[in-house]
Parts: sequence; C-alpha cells; structure tokens
Amino acid sequence: MFGIAGKKILITGASSGIGRQIAIDVAKNGGIVSLLGRDKGRLAEVANELEGVGHNYFSLDLTNSQQLGQFIEQSGNFDGVVFNAGIIDYTPVKFITEEKIDAIFDINYKSVVLLSQRLIKNKRVNKSGSLVFISSISSKLGVPGTAIYASSKAALSSYTKIIASELSAQKIRANCISPGIVITPMTQQASNAGSDEGFKNAEKLYPLGYGTPEDVSGLCFYLLSDVSRWMTGSDLVLDGGHTLI
Amino acid sequence: MEDNKFLENFAFQFDETDPGSILLDTHFKKLDEWSSLIALSVMAMADEQYRVKITADDIKNSTTVNDILLLIKERS
Repeated sequence: MFGIAGKKILITGASSGIGRQIAIDVAKNGGIVSLLGRDKGRLAEVANELEGVGHNYFSLDLTNSQQLGQFIEQSGNFDGVVFNAGIIDYTPVKFITEEKIDAIFDINYKSVVLLSQRLIKNKRVNKSGSLVFISSISSKLGVPGTAIYASSKAALSSYTKIIASELSAQKIRANCISPGIVITPMTQQASNAGSDEGFKNAEKLYPLGYGTPEDVSGLCFYLLSDVSRWMTGSDLVLDGGHTLI
Repeated sequence: MEDNKFLENFAFQFDETDPGSILLDTHFKKLDEWSSLIALSVMAMADEQYRVKITADDIKNSTTVNDILLLIKERS
C-alpha cells in the first residue's frame, strides 16, 4: 500500500541527518534515489549505503545558480523531490545583519524556490509527483534568537501552499513537514552553540522526546507514496507533542 | 582590547540593569535581568565586536564578567 518501488526521488541535503535517512528508506523500499549535497565524499558514502541499483549523486552548492543550471540540464525526471537542505541560526534581533539574512534565506528559502522553479519549468517532475518541503516548528513559535531562521521556514511553509495550488492541475502535490527538534549532526552542532545541558533540559518540553531522522523519514515516505494522493498544500506538524504543552 | 570598552559592550546587552552596577567581578548570571536571550546577545556581541566565538557552555562555565573577558582575550 505504501509502495514507492520504481519511483525516482531527488533529495537535497542528502549527505547526513534527515536527508540521508530518507534516501536509505526510499532505496530500501525499491525507490531510485538521486542525492544532492555539497560534500562529495559524504554523498558517495551515503550512495554506497543504499540498497538496490540506479542511484546517483550530484555534488553542488544549491545557492550557485550556474551549478543548479548544470544539474537541471543533465538530470532526468523525478516522481518525488524532498527539499531538505537547510541551516540553523540563532541570532537575537539586535544582532541581525543584512549578510546574516542573506546567508540564511539563500539556502533555506531562495535555493529551494529556485530549484523547484527550474524543475517545474523544465518539466522534470512527473505527473502525480510529490514535492516535500522540510520546514520547521520554529515557523509557528516565538523562540528567542530564531528570527531569521524561523522567518525563512515560515516563508517556505507559505511557498508550499502556492506551489501546491499552481501544480494541482498536473496532479503534482506539494506538502511541507514542520518538525520539532530532531537529533541530527546539524542540531547537535547547533546545540554546541547553545548549552549541552540546556539542550538536554529542553527535551522535557517534548512529551515523546526529541525526534530521530527515522521519524521524519516515515512521514516523508507517506507523502512521497501514492497513499497520500489526496493531500496537497498541507503543513504537517511533527513534534513529539511539543506544541501541546 | 580595552577592559572598560568590553565592560560597556557587555552591559549594553541589558536594558533594565544599571550599567554602572555591572563590573568585572559581577556574577552576571545572578543579575535579575539575566536570560537565555541575553546569553545569546553576549555571544553575538563577542562575534560582532571581537570576531570571537563563545558558546553557551562557555557562558555556563563562567561566573564573572571577567571570565568572559579572559575567554575573548584568549581567542582573539
């Protein structure tokens, strides 16, 4: 019922964390995966972990328009795309600079919009395809220090609704997932900018504890499969109950 | 790096606390106004003014304003 065997799935930010886990789960279930990321060595490692055949990877900087263009030219068509690449930032409003806004929005919002735009314009997404955008629960909260990060993710959540609307005639669906804190190399690095102790204490605010990459991958898997064929434009909160308390 | 200028920069992160009451030997986490946002602001100030990265664990392991000053001096 949840089958995605034979589906071609493109995943950004695939060299670690959530992206890596989605790639593993899709491949394990017969999907054919294309990995995008900056670190060629780590992409190759993930590609080697994948079950099945036909997978490939492309090393590129998603904020580089020329590299993006080259990728689109050589890429095939996809049945699903997971827009997972992103960075975390903790900057109090008083310390926001134009450079910081650009750096965060370039990767978390602009590169996502431009990759999806080029995929759609060049008809690289098959009919009945599925686009999955990884947003963040931060976009719905008011956590001090997350102004730029949360805004970039809120922009992404909004974008999802519009692209879902524009692509509905082709039965291409677009949904976003807003996860709470998921333990990945990126969040562990970010927790070092915060306090390890604080990070551990904050888990008390998660009735089901912090999430794992597998938790997010499971929902992605559902959205990529045809089981979710009636779902589009949704913003799904996946937070272990964090917003309940 | 001038100690007084650093003290001024540190005290500037507070809005309600009298800047004159913040000295190098002040136990800054005992100040009523101290919060996680001010901790983030001190980290951002160190980066902006001195190009030095300090983490929340550095702040956790520090007691006085002078401890932060020494960290910044060590790393700049």
